Amino acid sequence: MPSQSKDLYLPRPAEIREVIEENSQIKTFALSFIDREYQDRFSYAPGQFLMVSVPHCGEAPISVSSTPVSGGAIHLSVRRAGRLTAAMHGMRKGDVVGLRGPYGRPFPMAELAGRDLLFVAGGIGLAPLRSVINTCLAAGHGRRITILYGSRTPSDIAFKADLTSWGETANVSCLLTVDRAEPGWQGEVGLVTALLAQCRLEPDDAKALLCGPPMMIRAVLAELAERGFADEDIITTMERHMKCGVGICRHCHMDDKLVCRDGPVFTLQELKQLKVMELLG
Amino acid sequence: MAGLATTFGSGAMTNSINEIENAQVILLIGSNTSEAHPQVARRIFTAMDRGARLIVIDPRRTLMAKRADIHLPIRPGTDIPLLNAMMRVILDENLADDLFIEMRTENFYGLRDMLFRFDLEETVRLTGVDLARIRAAAQLYGRAQKAVICYCLGITQHVCGTGNVQAIANLAMLTGHVEKEDTGVDPLRGQNNVQGACDMGALPNVFPSYQQVDIDDYREKFERAWHASLPGQPGLTLMQMTHGGKNGPLKAMFIMGENPVLSDPVSDRVEETLDNLEFLLVADIFLTETARRAHVVLPAASFAEKTGTFTNSERRVQMVRRVIPPLGQSRTDSDIIMDLAGRLGYAMDYESPAEIMEEISMLAPIYGGMQHDRLENSWGLQWPCWDRSHPGTPFLHKYYFTRGRGRFTPVVHEPPAELPDDDYPFLLNTGRIYHQYHTGTMSRHSALLSREAGEALLQLHPEDGRRLGVRSGDLLRMRSRRGEVQVKAELTETVRPGEVYTTFHFSEMPVNRLTISAQDHFSQCPEYKICAVHLEKV
Amino acid sequence: MKDKYLLKKDHLLPLLRKLKKTYRLIAPVRNTHGDTLFTAIDRLDEVRIDLDKQPQNSLKQFFFPQQEVLFTYDNPAGDSYHFQPVVEESPPSLYFGVRPCDLSAVLYMDVVFLKDAKDPSYLQKRQNSILVGLNCNDPFASCFCNVTRSGPFIDFGFDLQLTDLGDRFLVEFDRSRGQEIITSWQQFFAPAGEADVKAQYQSFLEARGKFSLQVHLDQAVRKLALGEVPESVWEELSMRCQDCGGCAYICPTCTCFTIHDLQTSDHAGERLRSWDACTFSGFTRMAGGHNPVDRQMRGIEKRFRHKLQFDVKKDNRPSCVGCGRCVNICFGGTDIVRFINMTCCENS
Repeated sequence: MPSQSKDLYLPRPAEIREVIEENSQIKTFALSFIDREYQDRFSYAPGQFLMVSVPHCGEAPISVSSTPVSGGAIHLSVRRAGRLTAAMHGMRKGDVVGLRGPYGRPFPMAELAGRDLLFVAGGIGLAPLRSVINTCLAAGHGRRITILYGSRTPSDIAFKADLTSWGETANVSCLLTVDRAEPGWQGEVGLVTALLAQCRLEPDDAKALLCGPPMMIRAVLAELAERGFADEDIITTMERHMKCGVGICRHCHMDDKLVCRDGPVFTLQELKQLKVMELLG
Repeated sequence: MAGLATTFGSGAMTNSINEIENAQVILLIGSNTSEAHPQVARRIFTAMDRGARLIVIDPRRTLMAKRADIHLPIRPGTDIPLLNAMMRVILDENLADDLFIEMRTENFYGLRDMLFRFDLEETVRLTGVDLARIRAAAQLYGRAQKAVICYCLGITQHVCGTGNVQAIANLAMLTGHVEKEDTGVDPLRGQNNVQGACDMGALPNVFPSYQQVDIDDYREKFERAWHASLPGQPGLTLMQMTHGGKNGPLKAMFIMGENPVLSDPVSDRVEETLDNLEFLLVADIFLTETARRAHVVLPAASFAEKTGTFTNSERRVQMVRRVIPPLGQSRTDSDIIMDLAGRLGYAMDYESPAEIMEEISMLAPIYGGMQHDRLENSWGLQWPCWDRSHPGTPFLHKYYFTRGRGRFTPVVHEPPAELPDDDYPFLLNTGRIYHQYHTGTMSRHSALLSREAGEALLQLHPEDGRRLGVRSGDLLRMRSRRGEVQVKAELTETVRPGEVYTTFHFSEMPVNRLTISAQDHFSQCPEYKICAVHLEKV
Repeated sequence: MKDKYLLKKDHLLPLLRKLKKTYRLIAPVRNTHGDTLFTAIDRLDEVRIDLDKQPQNSLKQFFFPQQEVLFTYDNPAGDSYHFQPVVEESPPSLYFGVRPCDLSAVLYMDVVFLKDAKDPSYLQKRQNSILVGLNCNDPFASCFCNVTRSGPFIDFGFDLQLTDLGDRFLVEFDRSRGQEIITSWQQFFAPAGEADVKAQYQSFLEARGKFSLQVHLDQAVRKLALGEVPESVWEELSMRCQDCGGCAYICPTCTCFTIHDLQTSDHAGERLRSWDACTFSGFTRMAGGHNPVDRQMRGIEKRFRHKLQFDVKKDNRPSCVGCGRCVNICFGGTDIVRFINMTCCENS
């Protein structure tokens, strides 16, 4: 939408409508553009990201974690990592950030329809998948959906409301695990790959969407390959240092691809063409 | 400085930087060259392309050490025994240059007797370097026709700094590795114009060109030129000035382009001293931590706003030219000094930097032939340059040492002032990194440099990291007997277990709160390189 | 000859004087220190235009300044944050004496800045530019445009192109704006004859034989494509690289940039973009510290792969124009020619 305009790099002010504290490291910000008319026109697809500006901190790419609904608030789930995200964590309802976008190639939503879906997420990685899951559910996805989610500890589990509501949905099974248990935790302890072993999957008719730390992705990829998933049915997102968001500055290069323009969503088949250290180990 | 002055008679690089490219063996000691002196490092690489061998003596496995043919991972503060051991090997294996020793040096027997009493096994125990490596390094250095020793602050910033330098000079003289082109002893200066500041007498005991204040002839010469009576006693050293505390010797200070609050050891003591002054005047281009404490701050001009000369490590005096006029209210250093002197009742009336340079060339013999017209449109001149027909001196001590004969000065091991113990089990070493300059006054204003290195990191061996339960990026509390700071850990095998390393560039992590005020007895250079600290995870 | 003209050398300055009335004139100027640089000329009579030396800078800085304000912002309070675009119209500019390598570099920058997303600042400056080229009769010591196929002569991409024929220039045009200049200032241009065109071809043949560097670019490109570059080449070059970024800054086709905020007061600032270099470790380091590239061992890999592998794959030509500036400026000995030579010498 904005990439042809004269104001390629110019953000638009957006107000924080709500701040949801997911855990000690992650907050979800519900935002809407101050320009009402622009807000109503604004649309995006799951998997895309926005460049977020915070005064004096520059910009950072954050993927959208909400479902695109006309005029609805845009959710950005932000993990505290650097200067900008730390500043953002200090912001409250009513504060204003700058947004431009959406950028990037979204998840292939049309290809997901009518297939069994397996979502595997670790930590903040659930944010972009949450957008996909809720979009699928809103569109009445009738096939089986399996969600596997790993956190460091039980108190690190983010998106609790979503996890609960997915758990209550008929065709969805939602399994959680943690690296380290805490008193009161009765669920699984261990890697998400252990959850994967419990799942009934039909690789020929399913798509797997993964998002999380490289270690997890590597382990899950090995497991999926064993279960017979084809490379083109495995979809993940890549993260790189990013500056312009529109395919010019080249910070986010991965060989001849740019994550901002050719990604952030890639199939495993595409990634295998590239030298991606995270996946090759 | 003092070390080379007493042995060779002149405290500066004996070679030109270019000559390093032609050396056959390069011995680096106490220099993280690729980080601190990239322009020297590239000459070393070029020399290696041409077949030169590199010996690196450094406690850390720096990039230079990784590229070295022989790396001697020395225990910090044991340079003297290591160098003595190399000399002993050279004597034992008949690699000494007898003719050179006979013709050009004195007190060889003093050194020889000391070396023959010396126990090589003891060295191994002290330095932690095995004898085979020491021997290999000594043979390589001793057999070379053209060999260069480069050293830096890892040598001088010790209680035995002067002794370290003397040991280096002994090694070079023993093998005849001075006096020739592409062969010599080269201290690498820490800043672009330290050499120039020393040359101009910014030391407590000398006038420009190293003319001692307590020699009447020299003093009278300057009194005649300056129409003023001058003190005949050496002044105070830096540490005496900034570490006097409440009852320090000074009532007022004028600090130009220095940031001692961050750069001097035991910051608390420096702050106490400065805060107890009746008057503190600071001239700097930015409002530094020191300037914030001043009663009056004079905005100074940057290099791009003034004309004059800088003198680099290789004694090369080069012109800098004004590109833009001083911004805002800032003024050049000479302008500030002249105006200040005038108001204090002493007229300093120079119409241009060129006129100041003319006076320098009259009073400082080593700058005798250097006037702006000769420096203009050239790559500068290297001192000594005695008169206007003199072409400058690419390498020193040709035919005879500045002091006549080179003097062997036997030195023995002197342990660091503070070593790790049960309470403070880690040895802290401090230094610089490539992307920041000194206390960051200038370089931290660059967004790109700050992105490359925006915060202090404490290098810690992974083994120690495991023991402390620390991962890279975790915050550590680091404490010495003098102070405490918090710093992020960076696990790396560059350092050895038990030793940690960090930089002093960042005011958020003023590591000099921890360092020790112990100093070299001759040069009064503080021992930044060794103090004992305690670490714990925050 | 149709569409080919002659301009007497004596008439060059008078022509430039006329053109300067309409355009901001940028040409290689020798300054008082003896350095030749592309410079915006204020008074034509006070400068020395130097067509004998290679300008130390390329045209990059004129289309893509080293530092540029993208917009200003203010945030008087947490609940307000405003962005004001910076309107800086670049005047119509005529770039004179542009050699084929630098001209090719501008054409490459067009792809980077205008192919997908259109960079507004670049577009504006580029639309207002006229390029007057100069074919290279005498390649310089570090030049290798013959193997990058971006010189020593070029026959497209310019508005006007000059070839030195001794006492006169042969003038060609490739774009309508070039033709307009010839039409508007007819008194300066005479139609060229067949002999002149022959002389030009002769110069071209001679120039091709005058390169002093032997650079086996095609071989390196092939080895890169086949994955046959030994690891030791990347490691050796990366370890030697002194991390100064000079190669990227001086390179006419290095266009990577970074974006950051500069706080100008408590509640206001500028968003700047400035040149960056892919050899810096902060180029890829992510918030939180993880870096997918190990600078010490692989820092330099991106640079050469991008120019000689990925761009070849994408556009069928390397994005190195063979100007040799990095060869002259690199003090670590890790320039592109060094890389190509090492790649060709060593077997994996």
